[in-house]
Amino acid sequence: MPKLIKLDGDTAQWAQDVFTHVADDDALPEGDVILSLARFQAEGEILLSNSRRVGVRIEPDQEVEALAYDLPRLSVVALAFPKYRDGRAYTSARLLRERLGFTGEVRAVGDVLQEQAGFMVRCGFDAFEPNDGATPEAWTKAAHRFRHVYQRAADDRPVAFEERGA
Amino acid sequence: MKAVTANRLIDGEVVFWKTGAWVEGFGEAQLFDETQEAEVEAVVAKGKAQPTVIVDPYPIDLAPVDGGLAPVSYRERIRALGPTNEPTHGKQAVGGEVIEALRHAHGAARSTGRVDLIRRK
Amino acid sequence: MYLYDAIDREFLTDRSNEFRHQVARRLAGELTEDQFKPLRLMNGLYLQLHAYMLRIAIPYGSLNARQARRLAWIARTYDKGYGHMTTRQNIQFNWIKLKDAPDILDALAEVDLHAIQTSGNCIRNVTADPYAGATAEEIDDPRVWSEVLRQWSTLHPEFSFLPRKFKIAVTGALTDRAAVKVHDIGLILRKGRDGQIGFEVIVGGGQGRTPYVGPTIRSYLPSEHLLSYVEAILRVYNRHGRRDNIYKARIKILVAALGAEEFARQVEEEWGKINAERADLPAAELARIRAAFAQTRFETLPAVSEAFEAARAASPALRRFARNNVKPHKQPGYAIVEVSLKAIGQTPGDASAEQLDVVADLAEHYSLDDLRVTHAQNLVLPHVKLDDLPAVHAVLESVGLATANIDLASDIIACPGLDYCALANARAIPIAQDIARKFADPDRAEKVGELKIKISGCINACGHHHVAHIGILGVDKKGEEFYQLSLGGSGAEDASIGRILGPGLSADKVAPAIDALVEAYLHIRTGEERFLDTYRRVGLEPFKEAVYAQAD
Repeated sequence: MPKLIKLDGDTAQWAQDVFTHVADDDALPEGDVILSLARFQAEGEILLSNSRRVGVRIEPDQEVEALAYDLPRLSVVALAFPKYRDGRAYTSARLLRERLGFTGEVRAVGDVLQEQAGFMVRCGFDAFEPNDGATPEAWTKAAHRFRHVYQRAADDRPVAFEERGA
Repeated sequence: MKAVTANRLIDGEVVFWKTGAWVEGFGEAQLFDETQEAEVEAVVAKGKAQPTVIVDPYPIDLAPVDGGLAPVSYRERIRALGPTNEPTHGKQAVGGEVIEALRHAHGAARSTGRVDLIRRK
Repeated sequence: MYLYDAIDREFLTDRSNEFRHQVARRLAGELTEDQFKPLRLMNGLYLQLHAYMLRIAIPYGSLNARQARRLAWIARTYDKGYGHMTTRQNIQFNWIKLKDAPDILDALAEVDLHAIQTSGNCIRNVTADPYAGATAEEIDDPRVWSEVLRQWSTLHPEFSFLPRKFKIAVTGALTDRAAVKVHDIGLILRKGRDGQIGFEVIVGGGQGRTPYVGPTIRSYLPSEHLLSYVEAILRVYNRHGRRDNIYKARIKILVAALGAEEFARQVEEEWGKINAERADLPAAELARIRAAFAQTRFETLPAVSEAFEAARAASPALRRFARNNVKPHKQPGYAIVEVSLKAIGQTPGDASAEQLDVVADLAEHYSLDDLRVTHAQNLVLPHVKLDDLPAVHAVLESVGLATANIDLASDIIACPGLDYCALANARAIPIAQDIARKFADPDRAEKVGELKIKISGCINACGHHHVAHIGILGVDKKGEEFYQLSLGGSGAEDASIGRILGPGLSADKVAPAIDALVEAYLHIRTGEERFLDTYRRVGLEPFKEAVYAQAD
């Protein structure tokens, strides 16, 4: 079971993971669950109505727009990195935050490495299941390695041109 | 015949396996004949398992040429010598018989039989 | 020129520290090679045949004297005394040690240079017309927009793990010296009907295994929307570009599969959803960047220089140099001077540390501290007074840099090939040297006129062979180097992909074949036709006959 790191402001910390990742052919456990998009579309209504918290796992070839109407009721969207080199989840995260206005947890799952922490945080991820044994300390450090950023993203860091104008 | 080659991690230098160590000169490389496939594989596996000395070990085929043995492939001859456009750069700078044999290797995999890696000026 | 401020500098320091930390972890065995390789590649560090190769970004091909001197110092201190200019206006060093790489990045950062995004599946160093800010034909200065894109794309959080590498080129002139039609995105500055400035946007050109001349997906994009529109293109690509096959992962494959029209529709749709106010660059920042490039202070000079005219009349060498390497400048009394790195028999695109130092001095004293690298692997002194041309020519001559062959047959583009590159199948440099020797007689080279010969040592096409008047591709045929010739390509404004002439040739047959092609051309050309024009008029057949009849 991978450990969960969550952002608290600018600092990453260990977090208790109350969600269970449920595969499509698993029996449904008690409590809060993260489901595939297909299973959510089939069973989500019932689960949400019996007062569990529900998260959905989005694979890179699935579009987050499919969740547009359900987002207010979702607690977590888990974006999968089958390989760290697959950068589609960065787009998904930004769209969730900037276009679809999702305020719940955006969690990075799969091949999640501390070298990518800075990119992930800037795109709006706030929870991580690191695949490289990264500690929260390492994660915080990696996410803030650069004192400046050059472009707007899903975070509220001041961009170089804003710092210059200030 | 075969030898095992790799690049050294710290500086990228081309190296060859020689009974327990990675050495720079092609002329020093340990030679393996057809009966020693298992040993070749063991050297490659050992190279892949070590974390900090070399990168990407693999076996190369050698063939007899005038004056000794040379790698069959062009690429490996250039690795064993240095770039052909800068005849004083890389391993070839030291000169000597092995280098000369490599530079003017004939035959091997080539269909036209002439290699002349380095043009004599 | 754009000068880095404290923010840009701190960014480079942070980057350099990050890499030093990563190298230390690798050398200590805390990172495996598989984990480390993508990290070093993001800093332009490749493991090649003989050593590591460091590719240093030269944004839009533009350097000042201090930077050029630092590159010379690196060549001397950490390499074997030379560097290689690439077809993307960068410089590569061939003999780098991993343990030295962090120190080199520190030394580069001191002069505002770096190796960020010179490799990896990210937005690479942006290239531009090397005559930017100097040529009269330009509608706007492409460096302004290249710098805008450089900053925006640097460590872009969304677009650093694209399906494949991504290259953007910008030109503001009608004559295309930046090969914009064979880039992932090519941007041509255009004047709108309202007198404002905008871009023609070309997407999905490229070379490599599957060459395409890119289609125009928007004929006019108002310039203030550049970043939001490029973001839309990148987002469509990041989501839909293929990731299952490395050979089909470039944006050109997506554009070709969807069709340019459908691709353009998807981009426009995405663009419509982007909050342009947030995505586009604020006008004040654009003005700040523009001002940095507008500071070139030209003197008011007569259009004709008596000193130059007198020197030219007296010197056939200067006359030849002026004919081939000196180009018109927008400012009266100035000229653009091309410095050929293609001396006969030399490695195309290589410059020694001494040469770099000399050119740096020339740039400082005679070219307003400005030096450019061209995609044809030459250097440019963009702002030389006509009065100073004789002096500049004399200095260049003294260090073997006055070869008067720009765009002639001996001005050959060649990748490092199998002499250095781990990907290559065949050598490119010795083939180029062989061919250049056939045109060592400058009268013959001038008689032949513009002829762009380009050689790649493998199908990745770093040597731009697809878009050469005569392209040469090295292949490995059963362990032997073979070379495939193609004719009729162009990377300029009349872009086209060359067609294969016939069966491959062995190394020693290539230069004679080029000779035969040129002789055939001289025989059948009419009027002022360039080689390319003659080929386009008569087709492959006469050339095929010339090469293969002789080869038999």
